[in-house]
Amino acid sequence: MSSAFDFPGGIYPPERKQRSNQSGLIEAPLPRRVTLPLQQHSGQAATPCVAHGDAVKVGSVVAKREGMISSNLHASISGTVSEVSATQISIDGDGQDNWERLPSLDWQRAEPSSLLERLNESGIVGLGGAGFPTHIKARVVERHAINTLVINAAECEPYITADDLTLRNHANEVLEGAQIVAKLCGAQHIIIGIEDNKPDAIKALKHALSNCQPINIELKVIPTRYPSGGERQLIKRLLNLDVPTGGLPADVGVLCHNPGTLLAILNAVRDGQPLVSRVVTLTGEAITQPGNRWVRLGTSVRELLEQAGLNTPELHQVIQGGPMMGTPLLTLDTPVTKLTNCLIAATLEELPPPPAESPCIRCGECESVCPVALLPQQLHWYARAQDDTKLERYHLFDCIECGACSYVCPSHIPLVVDYREAKSRLRLQRIEAVKAEHAKHRFEFRQARLAREEAEKQARKQARQAQQRRPSNTPAASSEKVDLRGLRIAHAAAKASVKKAEKNLARVAQEDPKQSLDDLEMQLATAQENLKAAELQLAQAREQPSSEESS
Amino acid sequence: MSMMHASGVKDANTATSVPPTASLMRWVIAATLPGIATMSYFFGLGVISNVLLAAAFGIALEATVLRLRKRPIRVALNDSSALLTGVLLGASLPPASPWWIIGVGMIAAIVVAKQLYGGLGHNPFNPAMVGYALLLVSFPTYMTLWAPPQELLPTGLWAQISGTLPTAQLDSLSGATPLDAFKHKGEAFLASEFWAANPLPDGTLSAWRWVALAWLAGGVVLLAKRIISWHIPVAMLGSLLLLATLFYLSDPSHFASPLFHLLTGATLFGAFFIATDPVSAATSQRGKLLYGAGIGALIIIIRTFGGYPDAVAFAVLLMNLCVPLLDLYSVPRPTGQQKASPGKPGEQP
Repeated sequence: MSSAFDFPGGIYPPERKQRSNQSGLIEAPLPRRVTLPLQQHSGQAATPCVAHGDAVKVGSVVAKREGMISSNLHASISGTVSEVSATQISIDGDGQDNWERLPSLDWQRAEPSSLLERLNESGIVGLGGAGFPTHIKARVVERHAINTLVINAAECEPYITADDLTLRNHANEVLEGAQIVAKLCGAQHIIIGIEDNKPDAIKALKHALSNCQPINIELKVIPTRYPSGGERQLIKRLLNLDVPTGGLPADVGVLCHNPGTLLAILNAVRDGQPLVSRVVTLTGEAITQPGNRWVRLGTSVRELLEQAGLNTPELHQVIQGGPMMGTPLLTLDTPVTKLTNCLIAATLEELPPPPAESPCIRCGECESVCPVALLPQQLHWYARAQDDTKLERYHLFDCIECGACSYVCPSHIPLVVDYREAKSRLRLQRIEAVKAEHAKHRFEFRQARLAREEAEKQARKQARQAQQRRPSNTPAASSEKVDLRGLRIAHAAAKASVKKAEKNLARVAQEDPKQSLDDLEMQLATAQENLKAAELQLAQAREQPSSEESS
Repeated sequence: MSMMHASGVKDANTATSVPPTASLMRWVIAATLPGIATMSYFFGLGVISNVLLAAAFGIALEATVLRLRKRPIRVALNDSSALLTGVLLGASLPPASPWWIIGVGMIAAIVVAKQLYGGLGHNPFNPAMVGYALLLVSFPTYMTLWAPPQELLPTGLWAQISGTLPTAQLDSLSGATPLDAFKHKGEAFLASEFWAANPLPDGTLSAWRWVALAWLAGGVVLLAKRIISWHIPVAMLGSLLLLATLFYLSDPSHFASPLFHLLTGATLFGAFFIATDPVSAATSQRGKLLYGAGIGALIIIIRTFGGYPDAVAFAVLLMNLCVPLLDLYSVPRPTGQQKASPGKPGEQP
């Protein structure tokens, strides 16, 4: 334990973790049927590679990753594929629980490339909530030097205890998983950031650390304060580093992983077990047996809660995720996915709906709790007024949507809802602007092509005329004075713009290989067409006076 | 969204954040009670009748304008903000002021300064101080004449109802506040001579001191309950004391002592109850410090060089004018951003 730094603001909501951290981590009963959405990760949805009626085992790939950022999907029970639709795959179980595992890898000897490939095959994504494919995250070392791996065990949201229980039961495995990631990204240090409200997990970690560790692992216990589990906030608190706006932790040489993800990585490498189950916190006053369960992906939320003693008449809402940043489920007939870390079956008294909103009195309480040091109330006024310029100037996009401002607002203004709306409106505008720009480029390309064709036509015509003229030896009828100098300048400008477009294309392709280059290629093609047209016109103009002289 | 909300999800041991808006307002009203009680002890029941009359005007005017604006009346009245404006203005006026003076002040406060700008949360100026400033420039002599301590007669209350100005007192210094008396002591007098002459009725100075301390007590309650933040009062009193000390040290024979500035007039009342009005104050913490410091400095400057004996209302209104500027230049640097002040769009690193 060493001293911690600090991020601004923060709040102390009721923790309510006792409800789910009193019982051990157990396996949920094997579901009879699972529904696997194709999109359980950030990026593109996976593409199904099984058909109706196919027999699958636990761990069989049922959908393959599609495109740059995506992830494989595996059957989480053995049985028969009963439905393949555009959005999900359903499997009817046979009750056998037959597994299909990949061969075991010794991570200390294995090549980094084979470890990466294993993460890719195993469909591992960040289990903390964002669901970013882990193999892509591991490849960040291609562009950034990483020196510290942070294990984000802060788990700052109320209610959730999934990481707590994971660490209590699997501290050794989590640390081993961390070493795999450290090997992949070349990190020299591993820091575990954990809030001091998890004494059992801290004890388990200390015990695991006392067994010999080949590389430097440091345990930092920080005082409980929301939102210290935010990636940027935790990095600030542990390392006193500011992750730049719009950047990634990798920009300051840090990689962040959730304990659950590290455990899944170890299971994938050591046991060849793809991501088919995860730890889910079941909690809330409306269930009688709260606690943490190993749940197969695709299990229905209703089935899971009913097994935990759901008291339906008391149930007010089920929240997926934490009470601060989670989302209420519209229906219980929805499956557990790779992103489901917590299900709160709340009663009305427990999480009542917010009281009616009253006007902002600019008290500034929101500012004093904002962990990013934004001015939430200014953003509120500008969001309501749809003043987009001001929103960007006051750094709307730096908001991490932690909800601390809404929590303290004495006027009960749903600030984060406003910010989310404003963000999505601005994102849409940006996309529209890019589309309009592309359309303009397409139009310019067409104009350039037509101009080039016209110039070619002219050149052919002139050539024909010259041939005809030579035998008859009559002076050119319409020999207008041509602006040779102007054409030369136009030619030089066209040449320069081709060079510029080439440079642009090369730079972007090098900087960000993921980005689509269609638009830049289109601009290059336009410049090339313009150059061709200019060349033809120039050649033509040069020929004319010479033909006149010869006559 | 399933955000945990302040009112709903408070466990007893973690109730650290601020109460909802309506109860914020009620807390401020409650915190004015020691001040009002002390004032009426020294200046008579006219203080209480002022407050009650102004509060009644406040509610009636707010309801009328909301009706004209076709806004829900009950919801807005429930937040008690009009009531608070009435209490603050009523407490600022000379005891047993004629009803129409209170009425004019409250119309300026509620109708013009608050509702015409869009109601709660939208007023750029402190409503109570707009009302007070209007009355001060309209009736300058009357507004600086206070009944001497322990001299409230039933006739005073009758004058309030009949609406006559107390003309009898207008040319006597006996009703003047200490600030007014000191201001008009004349250049020939030295400060020491002025005090030696014992120009004020017995007990005036100590009465004002007790009142000031009572406002301070209310303010401390507000700070302790986290109803107001410390930034504005601390910055305001700090700059006021600093400037007053500098003047006093430069020439103690002509300038009033810092303690005199602190404990007479509306200094402490203004620091905790007027300048801290969140709606018309600067928003960021740095901005609040600048805003408070500006008020403190302006109070000393106007009291020393200006035409009015006290200056809290004008200082607050002048700093209200500066709030948009302060807000623009006091933006904190968001984590991860290079620049503190709001950058231009597209300037993101």
